[in-house]
Amino acid sequence: MNPHRRLVLVEDHRLFRAGVRSELDASIEVVGEAATVAEAIPMIRELDPDVVLLDVHLPDGTGQAVIAAVAPDRPGVKFLALSVSDAAEDVIAVIRAGARGYVTKTISGPELSEAVHRVAEGDAVFSPRLAGFVLDAFRGVEGVASDPELDLLTAREREVLQLIARGYLYKEIAAQLHLSVKTIESHVSAVLRKLQLSSRHQLTRWAVERRLI
Amino acid sequence: MSTVGARLPAALARLTRRREEGLLGGVCAGLARAARVDPTLLRLVFALLAFAGGAGLVAYAAAWIGLPDEGQAPPRRARRWLGVALLGVGAVVALRSSGVADSLLWPAAIVAAGTLLALRQPGGASRSQLTARTVAAAGLVIGGSLLLLETATSGASGGFLVAPAALVVVLFLVVGPWVWRLARERDTERLERIRAQERADMAARVHDSVLQTLALIQRSADDPRRVAALARRQERELRAWLYGGPAAGDGETLGRALVESLADVEELHGVRVELVQTGDVQLDEPLRALVLAVREAVTNAAVHAGVPEVFVFADVGEAEVSVYVRDRGAGFDRGAVPADRRGIVDSIEARMTRHGGTAAVRSTPGEGTEVELRLPLEAS
Repeated sequence: MNPHRRLVLVEDHRLFRAGVRSELDASIEVVGEAATVAEAIPMIRELDPDVVLLDVHLPDGTGQAVIAAVAPDRPGVKFLALSVSDAAEDVIAVIRAGARGYVTKTISGPELSEAVHRVAEGDAVFSPRLAGFVLDAFRGVEGVASDPELDLLTAREREVLQLIARGYLYKEIAAQLHLSVKTIESHVSAVLRKLQLSSRHQLTRWAVERRLI
Repeated sequence: MSTVGARLPAALARLTRRREEGLLGGVCAGLARAARVDPTLLRLVFALLAFAGGAGLVAYAAAWIGLPDEGQAPPRRARRWLGVALLGVGAVVALRSSGVADSLLWPAAIVAAGTLLALRQPGGASRSQLTARTVAAAGLVIGGSLLLLETATSGASGGFLVAPAALVVVLFLVVGPWVWRLARERDTERLERIRAQERADMAARVHDSVLQTLALIQRSADDPRRVAALARRQERELRAWLYGGPAAGDGETLGRALVESLADVEELHGVRVELVQTGDVQLDEPLRALVLAVREAVTNAAVHAGVPEVFVFADVGEAEVSVYVRDRGAGFDRGAVPADRRGIVDSIEARMTRHGGTAAVRSTPGEGTEVELRLPLEAS
């Protein structure tokens, strides 16, 4: 059984918040709801939840602004980005700001609950679309990497991302590759870390082309 | 829209002296700040003009009297006019001392008066008043210019070329930055107009598409499938418009063809197709066949799998394109499919083989199906 998790919901549509609240499973308690960046920052500081489910676009700013303001003094809080946006710049920017994952608003209740638990445990959550963006970002000529540790995906990581892009769940990927779910999780976390830390030439150019920097 | 003339007094009103930064009265420091140039440059200009019969001194005094000190209340109207008059005297002195003959000076003064008249359009004036002023100003400028031209061609004055040239340079230094700033303000205005236009376009767009769809949805509230299809189509249109993406791309690419083709399937069969693509490529004949095969595979999933969602991942690599169509639905046993159901064999496998590609179908009853399509890219 999943451990009890405290969640703050930052999202400006009241109806959508109500929908999320009713769909999350019983192990996740919504302890606070905020509709704006200005409301969210003091609320997260005060409540110190396990996970913040964070809309990328808020009326008075972006999800990144919330992460940037809160993350330094609340390192234990994990952020899961939630968006209807298909735009690569929104998704990658919020991940690079420190979110542990990205899901689209069409996600089903059980999948969202699983994503919240996964993020709370410190793992990463990639939607098929995010996996596609990441594959695109790290694609390109090999050997231009200044820091291969950060700038290149391993063959295994690429394989895992491709399976996520194909719509596989972690346990399905594990079965397909004859690995444990834990191993898949650590591969995805490694990719997340590279995405957040790499200053790779290709990634930078890719980001510039999409006006991320 | 405000005119250039309406801004001249405003621009003058913004000029101040900056006493604590200045050497004397802070005139040069203040002007330099407004014009965003080095104060030393202006000090040099005034010093040079001082040699033109003392014009620089007169102009400096005029500015000292006419301009308010930074942070102080602006000087009274009379004091401002005294400053302007002194400035005029300075200009006349400078011109005469630098060898400009009276025959040149007066036409120039007429042109200057005309220009001033043109630039100082009072705010509350009626249309006919404005027209009269403009006509008068234009008359003065043109008349003065003609007189100037006549004097110049008749060669009345010997050494009149050098000194006026110097004055033109000085004028350019003083007026140039101000004109440049005016031009920039006009740019800002144009940008604002463009933004207003964009907002209007957006409102029109929302009205034509989103509001219409919402009305349709309300009328079809008893048909959930139609509601879902309407909402999905609207979502797609809105996305394409907001984020660009393959649907807004130029030319025929694989990405665009897939988006369009899968949108059709979504609408026809009421499923949601999650398309993820990396890279893209111009569409050619074999790739068109690939799109048709993908469409067939997604349709199969929509019809037989019994799940609301189908995943499509298209990966454009260096040498080949691979597309995966996956559902987490009913699945099937290949051997149990009746021989007359030719969809997979004809529409997918044979089509791919004809164009040099491959197709593989993996399915497990109860777990779902994945169709893998591969097509080598022709070296171009």
